[in-house]
Amino acid sequence: MQKEIRMKKKVLFFLLILLIAVSVVMVGCKKEKAPKVVVEEWEIPFLNSLTGVIASIGEYLQWGAERAAFEINEAGGIAGKPVKVIGVDTALEPQKGVVEMSKIVDWALVALGPVPEPVIMAAAPIAVENEMMTMTATTSLEYAEQFFPWSISWFPATKDRLPPLARVWAEDYGVKEVVQFVGTYGPWPGMAAAHVEGLKAAGATHLGDIEFGQDVVTFGPLVVKALDMKPDGIIIAGWPDKAAKIVQELKSRGWTDMEKILLFSSADDAALYTTGGADLNGTIIYNYINVDQDTPRWNAFKEAYQKDHNGLQPPSLSTNYYDAVYMIKRAIEETGVTGDPKKLKEERKLIAEAMLNMKNFEGLLFNWDMSDGVPTNKPGYLFQIQDGRKKLVKEIRG
Amino acid sequence: MQTFIAQVINGLSLGSIYVLLATGFNLLLLVAMIIHFAYPQVVVFSMYIAWVVLRYTGNSIVLAVLAAILSSVLLNLISAPLFQQVMKNREEVDINTTMVLSLGIGMIITDVLSHGFNKGLPIAFPSKLIGETPILRVGLISLQGGQVASLAVGVLAVSGIFLLLYKTRPGRAFRAIAEDPNGARLVGIPLLRTGFESYALSGVLGGLIAVLLAMLLGYSSPGLGEQVAHKVLAVSIIAGLGNLVGGLVVGLALGILEALVQGYISGSWSNAIAFVVMLLVMLFKPRGLFGIKL
Amino acid sequence: MSLATYYFLTITAVYILMSWGLYLPYRVAHLHFLTVANMLISGYLSGYMVQTLEVPFAVALLAGFAAGGIIGYIVSLFIGDAPTFTVVIVGFTFIYISRTAVENIKAVGATMGMFGLPAVSGSPVMHRWTILILLYVLVVVVGFLIYRFEHSRLGRAASAVFVDKDLATSMGVDIKRLGRLLQTFSSLVAGGCGVIYGFIYRSFHLDFFTFHLVGIFMTVIFVGGYATMWGTVLAAPALYGLSLILPPAVASWRIVIYGTILIAVLVLKPEGFITRRLAYKLETALSRRRRR
Repeated sequence: MQKEIRMKKKVLFFLLILLIAVSVVMVGCKKEKAPKVVVEEWEIPFLNSLTGVIASIGEYLQWGAERAAFEINEAGGIAGKPVKVIGVDTALEPQKGVVEMSKIVDWALVALGPVPEPVIMAAAPIAVENEMMTMTATTSLEYAEQFFPWSISWFPATKDRLPPLARVWAEDYGVKEVVQFVGTYGPWPGMAAAHVEGLKAAGATHLGDIEFGQDVVTFGPLVVKALDMKPDGIIIAGWPDKAAKIVQELKSRGWTDMEKILLFSSADDAALYTTGGADLNGTIIYNYINVDQDTPRWNAFKEAYQKDHNGLQPPSLSTNYYDAVYMIKRAIEETGVTGDPKKLKEERKLIAEAMLNMKNFEGLLFNWDMSDGVPTNKPGYLFQIQDGRKKLVKEIRG
Repeated sequence: MQTFIAQVINGLSLGSIYVLLATGFNLLLLVAMIIHFAYPQVVVFSMYIAWVVLRYTGNSIVLAVLAAILSSVLLNLISAPLFQQVMKNREEVDINTTMVLSLGIGMIITDVLSHGFNKGLPIAFPSKLIGETPILRVGLISLQGGQVASLAVGVLAVSGIFLLLYKTRPGRAFRAIAEDPNGARLVGIPLLRTGFESYALSGVLGGLIAVLLAMLLGYSSPGLGEQVAHKVLAVSIIAGLGNLVGGLVVGLALGILEALVQGYISGSWSNAIAFVVMLLVMLFKPRGLFGIKL
Repeated sequence: MSLATYYFLTITAVYILMSWGLYLPYRVAHLHFLTVANMLISGYLSGYMVQTLEVPFAVALLAGFAAGGIIGYIVSLFIGDAPTFTVVIVGFTFIYISRTAVENIKAVGATMGMFGLPAVSGSPVMHRWTILILLYVLVVVVGFLIYRFEHSRLGRAASAVFVDKDLATSMGVDIKRLGRLLQTFSSLVAGGCGVIYGFIYRSFHLDFFTFHLVGIFMTVIFVGGYATMWGTVLAAPALYGLSLILPPAVASWRIVIYGTILIAVLVLKPEGFITRRLAYKLETALSRRRRR
């Protein structure tokens, strides 16, 4: 009898232990409830030059960002909440940019911009000090890396990115001796130096650089100087409207091999086409988006852009802040950020970390990986301009 | 040698821009005692008006010219009372105040052009206005119709205005009103009508200059006026304020100097070198190379 | 103090100092735009000294003042009593030369600019307080000096030159010496301002120093009042603040608004808002209250 009681006790004890163990396991495996998003709307400030000399560029950057917000909201928002891009005008004035950034760092999770370089230099340090990510998606790595890890670059290093483009152009069009026009602004002289490396790799000779400032009004003297060196190829790295004038001046002095004129990416702007018109036909331009791609997402973007811009093709920078907004969406959703003001510091950090090494980001036109804030495997393209439109010539990677 | 000749021709072309603008600037000074620092911006505004008319009239050059002239005249007439008001307490040309006033006018014009026309983008004029092919091309030397027209008209404008102001009765009346309105009234010159005519004359010249610049440059942008304003002022000062012939000579000389600097030294240093040369001239000849003619 | 307030106060102080830098030579009818070039030259010089040569900020600041003063003095030897236009052209020339030179000097970053200047003291917060205090000490010191100047024989002589140069000369005013003094002092102040301006942002870029600044400072002087120093103190925060508080739709027309204000003031109140008479009345009223 006693033996039976002891047996029963043992069984009960064993069952109790089993019950406790199962309970512990079940409690441990119970899915944690997702943190609740506290904002009613995700507000993303965009420090942009909406007025001033580059207002026309600021306009389409803003357009791209708002287009992304529109699409995201149509599809249900970010973590179920709508997103709004708030344009903050800095008018290309650093003294305005710093005040606007100072206000933004009080509340924003992440900021788009600033645009352009003078405002970046003045205002981005404020974001760095407050550990807030700013997405300067229109400037070179050489500017953006100054503010790492609170910034990411949209472009790989100039010295890696540009030489293959110049090399392929020189090789494909049989260019042997090149003169380069270089606008004296920001990263352009550095880009011009990178072109020269590409020319060397192609076995072409760089005859010289002709520098010019923003206040040059006529280009006869510069073009004559260039032609006097007897080049068979020309690279132009300067303001879009002035690039167009240089092309026109070259043509008026008998230049006929239009494919032996290479325009750089920063010249690919509405001002190039409105100033140059049909005189640009046949010139080659390099850039980072392929406007002839045929995907539903891109077609929708292109159609919407052309509707709002009198049929003009979207400039390549117009997609940058579009992608930036989507990147923010992904970062928020992957990290479970709530928008709780009390957790601002830690959530900013989560977003920044998510972006710095984001893998397989689905951009509007291609996917890419970020590696410590630097994009990898982004393509470059050579296009030929014909009647105001770019026709793809070649895709170049690495 | 061919390169040098080509650069000199380029210089004359560039210089004709300065001559045209300096002539209009000096005319306003002579007939109204106004230092209109923003005169280039007024001309650029007229270029934009001409462009708009060209767009909507199927490139009618006659209408574009008339529109440019009308807009320039209107701008002059609107700004005239402002200048007269700030100057009424001074007996001589109030350089500083009129300069600052014209700075304000220039700021407004530039910003209106940035906002209200072509989304702030540069504008391009039709190729038939500029001339589709050069009238002369020998190696590097190239001469467009617009270049010849602007230089020729520049010289003619200087000669014509000089003759008008110094050899005709209406011209003497304009100068009399500018120098001494009370004295002019005493000798029977009708102030209102003559004043209106003088502003209208400078407006007509401004409109013509706008069209010539359109032919010469083939494009315009909101910032174009500001880009040349400093040099136009410098040309007028170095020549001697109000000195039309001096403005012609100095304008062309500056254009040639800039072209040679860009061609043989560096494009990015051309402004700095041009201003240094002008500065040196001014230090030795503060009243201008050809003397003030006010 | 919020960051936005800090930047508003610091940049307002720079505007006041630079506008005073233009105001002083204007007392003898000189538009001394050389001051913008002084800002640029001294700013980049100090940035180079601190970042590359690792010189303490205080030394670099003194060097900035000195560079401004020396350049201003040398130039004034030639244009101390020059006609107004010569002074204007000198200013433009130096702005072009200094910008082009910096574009071509790799040691100061050329067209890229200079990044990441070190904080002037300790933490970012200390850095900001140091800059703010430094600026307002400078405002008080420069303001005091200008006030003493205006209430001295030299100030009265400057007023006489402004009204009638020939009469002033016949009364024994040494215009050249007076012009030299005012131009040198204004360049010295501008040099120091340029240093501090860059350290507010902790970077230098050519587009921090453009002809646009000339327009801003002239607007401040003429709207505030060119006949007394107090107009600048009123106009600088008002005009800068206006650009920050305008609603976005209106802010895009900011420049048109500034231009209109400038024209309206020149036409309706040629001396600006703070006229000499008003300043005199206020001073008299204040001194009566003090006596009581």
